[in-house]
Amino acid sequence: MGTTIDISYWGLGIGMLLLLIPLYFFHRFKTGLVKATIVGAIRMVVQLFLIGIYLKYLFLWDNPWINFLWVFIMVFVATETALSRTRLKRNILMIPIVVGFLASAILVGLYFLGVVLQLDNIFGAQYMIPIFGILMGNMLSSNVVALNTFYTNLMREQQLYYYLLGNGATRHEATAPFVREAIIKAFSPAIANMAVMGLVALPGTMIGQILGGSSPNVAIKYQMMIIVITVTASILSLMITLWMAARKTFDSYGCIRQVFKE
Amino acid sequence: MLRIENLGVRFGQKELFSDMNLHVGRGEVVCLTGPSGCGKTTLLKAVMGFVSPFQGTVVVDGIQLTPQMVHIIRHRIAWMPQGLSLPCEWVREMVRLPFDLRVNRGTSFSEEKLQEYFCTLGLDTSLLDKRLHEVSGGQRQRILLAITAMQEKPLVVIDEPTSALDQASTQKALQFVQRLATEGRGRAILSVSHDPRFMEGCDKVIDFTNHKS
Repeated sequence: MGTTIDISYWGLGIGMLLLLIPLYFFHRFKTGLVKATIVGAIRMVVQLFLIGIYLKYLFLWDNPWINFLWVFIMVFVATETALSRTRLKRNILMIPIVVGFLASAILVGLYFLGVVLQLDNIFGAQYMIPIFGILMGNMLSSNVVALNTFYTNLMREQQLYYYLLGNGATRHEATAPFVREAIIKAFSPAIANMAVMGLVALPGTMIGQILGGSSPNVAIKYQMMIIVITVTASILSLMITLWMAARKTFDSYGCIRQVFKE
Repeated sequence: MLRIENLGVRFGQKELFSDMNLHVGRGEVVCLTGPSGCGKTTLLKAVMGFVSPFQGTVVVDGIQLTPQMVHIIRHRIAWMPQGLSLPCEWVREMVRLPFDLRVNRGTSFSEEKLQEYFCTLGLDTSLLDKRLHEVSGGQRQRILLAITAMQEKPLVVIDEPTSALDQASTQKALQFVQRLATEGRGRAILSVSHDPRFMEGCDKVIDFTNHKS
């Protein structure tokens, strides 16, 4: 396979002009999305250029300690994002989310790098940074959906929770219907996506690898593993978060505390 | 079976009731009554540990209610809340809910017994195969009463069991509750009701108005 053709800054600018087409339709149908699209596009350009700069240095230094420091930063940024998107009280969920993200990313990420890929240096930036990055991104999006679903349903359907508890259910049994709903809502899209992968659309990792010069054979194997590790890490982090958050979500009698911000 | 001593509950600064004493033994049907908001349902919730009292104790089957023992106490209780609306699609699904709990795995779920209870309460067994939104409030209330009875717990806590029932159905529900209290080893029944027809058949009626501070 050949090497990747670089996109010149001139080419990038010309390419960006394509955005004028969606902007035109957003404007014409008065969607109110024009400003958000322009702001979003500017933020994307700035953020990705910045990421490009620090990734360049991460790869240049290739130091395990710096790589781990970067993983910690990703975990804290993801936690902040999850907290802001869920309206849940910081003191209830902050530590559970941090521990959930960190433990799952390290367990699943290092399993993939060490056991599956059998790398000599599992802390090397070339593999560690992208793998942990993709794990964090997926854990964040599924956790936000799952936590929102779990807590919103728990508050709305308190009758069911207390009915089960009052009839002898353990707290684990009484919350099981809510955990079930949260898992279904958060993981159904990923599972549906898995089932049509390669038929309806070519997945991102695979495209990236093919553009990067890998053979399709290598690309599909990476794609399979990426799906497996992201789903596994996401469910693990959710379970850890819910388990740890339970101590502050319920009082010593199992009654639900106020979890949403006032 | 149930002993409440000097119980008092506050909501914020407001004292709902205090120095409440109550004893319900096996074979007894006790009814709490009084104006809305005086704390009758709150007392039922306090028995199950859903409300923390500022004074007094709750003892069920010789076990004092504490955070460590609350789970064991709830094992001994069958609870029918007021106006329960469960997110179930089918009646059968709602009936099965408590029987999927570990605590009830020893209690064999008998379709025959359920059908017998349905008949006693004047319910058609075909209701089991209906969607929950297809049954009326009164039917739902009697179905819940049957489910509560099926659990075979020594303490039965029921909140407004006849509020949506007509004269004839109330009579059947009352006879059903009286039978529950006395059959076998007997059960202690603690209920809340505004319905004079139901109260008439109870062994003891406690007017909560007197316990309001």
